[in-house]
Amino acid sequence: MESSATTNPPAIEVRALVKRFGEVTALDGLDLRVPRGSCFGLLGPNGAGKTTTVSILTTLIRPTGGVARLLGRDVVAERDAVRRDLGLVFQESTLDPELTSREHLDLYARLYHLEDRRARVDEIIALLGLEEVADRPTRFYSGGMKRRLEIGRGLLHRPQVLFLDEPTLGLDVHARRAIWDHLRSLSDGGDTTVFLTTHSMEEADSLCEQIAIIDHGRVVASGSPSRLKSELGGDVVRLALERADGAIDRLNRLDGVSEVIREDPDSESTATLRVTLVDGPRRLAALIEAARSFGVLEVTMQRPTLDHVFLHHTGHSFEGPTDSA
Amino acid sequence: MIVLLGDTLTLFRREAIRYRRDRAYWVGQMVFPLAAVGFFGFGLNDVVELPTGTDYVGHLASGILVLVISSGAVGGGFSLIEDRETGFLRALLIAPVAPASIVLAKMAARLAASLLLVAMLLAILATFTALRLPEPAALLGAITAVTAVFVSLGIAIASRLRRLESFRLFAALVTVPLYLFSGIFYPITTLPSPMRWLSYGNPLSYGVDLFRFGLLGIHEIPLATSAVMLALLSVGATALAVASLNHQRADR
Repeated sequence: MESSATTNPPAIEVRALVKRFGEVTALDGLDLRVPRGSCFGLLGPNGAGKTTTVSILTTLIRPTGGVARLLGRDVVAERDAVRRDLGLVFQESTLDPELTSREHLDLYARLYHLEDRRARVDEIIALLGLEEVADRPTRFYSGGMKRRLEIGRGLLHRPQVLFLDEPTLGLDVHARRAIWDHLRSLSDGGDTTVFLTTHSMEEADSLCEQIAIIDHGRVVASGSPSRLKSELGGDVVRLALERADGAIDRLNRLDGVSEVIREDPDSESTATLRVTLVDGPRRLAALIEAARSFGVLEVTMQRPTLDHVFLHHTGHSFEGPTDSA
Repeated sequence: MIVLLGDTLTLFRREAIRYRRDRAYWVGQMVFPLAAVGFFGFGLNDVVELPTGTDYVGHLASGILVLVISSGAVGGGFSLIEDRETGFLRALLIAPVAPASIVLAKMAARLAASLLLVAMLLAILATFTALRLPEPAALLGAITAVTAVFVSLGIAIASRLRRLESFRLFAALVTVPLYLFSGIFYPITTLPSPMRWLSYGNPLSYGVDLFRFGLLGIHEIPLATSAVMLALLSVGATALAVASLNHQRADR
């Protein structure tokens, strides 16, 4: 294990990571392994421990227990070396409102002692499409422009691992998609490992090759989005019925049904069932026919999403506690 | 060491850009001293007779200039809280930069602003007061030391406080007594004995005295005493400011 860690270590390796803030346990034995050159998403509701994980991996806070390594280096013992290899885009803005894009990037290019400073600054400005506003102070920027500049700052010194903490939080749909396009072009291009946290299932699905879903400071599922979704065993059909008595048993006996869950167990009048159905489009008609005697009010079918994966693994929906950890 | 100086220069450049763009700051810093000297200086000139032999306008004008540079220097610490509120400091603290560079850059930028301000104000004040420049080295030394001490004081306060409002209140609590017992408004030797001793314990008194020597050629404290005190205070205060920022970094 140790020899592989020194010869060809993964981008990130986390074992049994624990972080407590007083009485509150933010991370409760977290395990992660992120291969190099991939885009990895850490997905979870607010308060699940995403920002705490990033803060430890980027050496901003120390763990209470466990091990975290970046490119084989311990984030506590080799803090300064770790910092040189990482780029971090914070959840909140870190821009000086009085400085322009070019001035920000030039400042950091100097602090990282880049030899091709001017060329690199121009390159980043072009990469993130900031040419037109590059010489205006950032207080005049839209939210999307500020985010792009933050990402540019994170990328500037060619870090081997780029951390993005909720990169599109608070942006409108248009700005969010623009950021996704930029991030996609990054991970397509080369060696940079991108590690992003998000509470947007759509974002993780759209950008990441590998994801880990965390809840209450622990990983509850990990793998590629498509594998996690396929593990659910089929498409998701939602049935609203007039009566539920016996419906679950009846539907469970059907071919292709792998799971039936009642979503509103407390409701006394109607019942909403979530049915996981293998090869849904072909079997949907049979399912509706079987449910007809219970009074079908409404039927919807969806391909499985990461929302369903989350629900499957945690037993609760994605609405979590709102405090950020 | 070369890296430290290089990083300091980089951060100095950023501070200088901010000063250059803040026009309201420059207007305020020019108008206030001229108004104070005009109003209080000329109003009291015929009422107050000083044992130092200079007229009151000249005495007050030199004192007000020190007030401007020292209060402005505390603003160097204020800018650290701004940097924290905008998030800028967060990104800076994970870059490979020594906290000493952050402190030294704020100090150097503030020193450049102070020198520019004193030069411009002096050019105007020299036309209607006794202020000249008989001892430029003493003036330069006094400006450097007062700036270093007060920027450090501001940073030390700012490292411990999270909010701008708390900073303003706390900074005023610390600095106003320093201003009052420093010889800015009246010569130290005219004060009653207990207050005079308070003034001798006040680091700013040495800065004011050396500064006044630079502009009027008179002093109340032996020059060597002022020079040694200011040198020690500058080094000590700078070390305190660097330690405060280091502490904050380790704390996170």
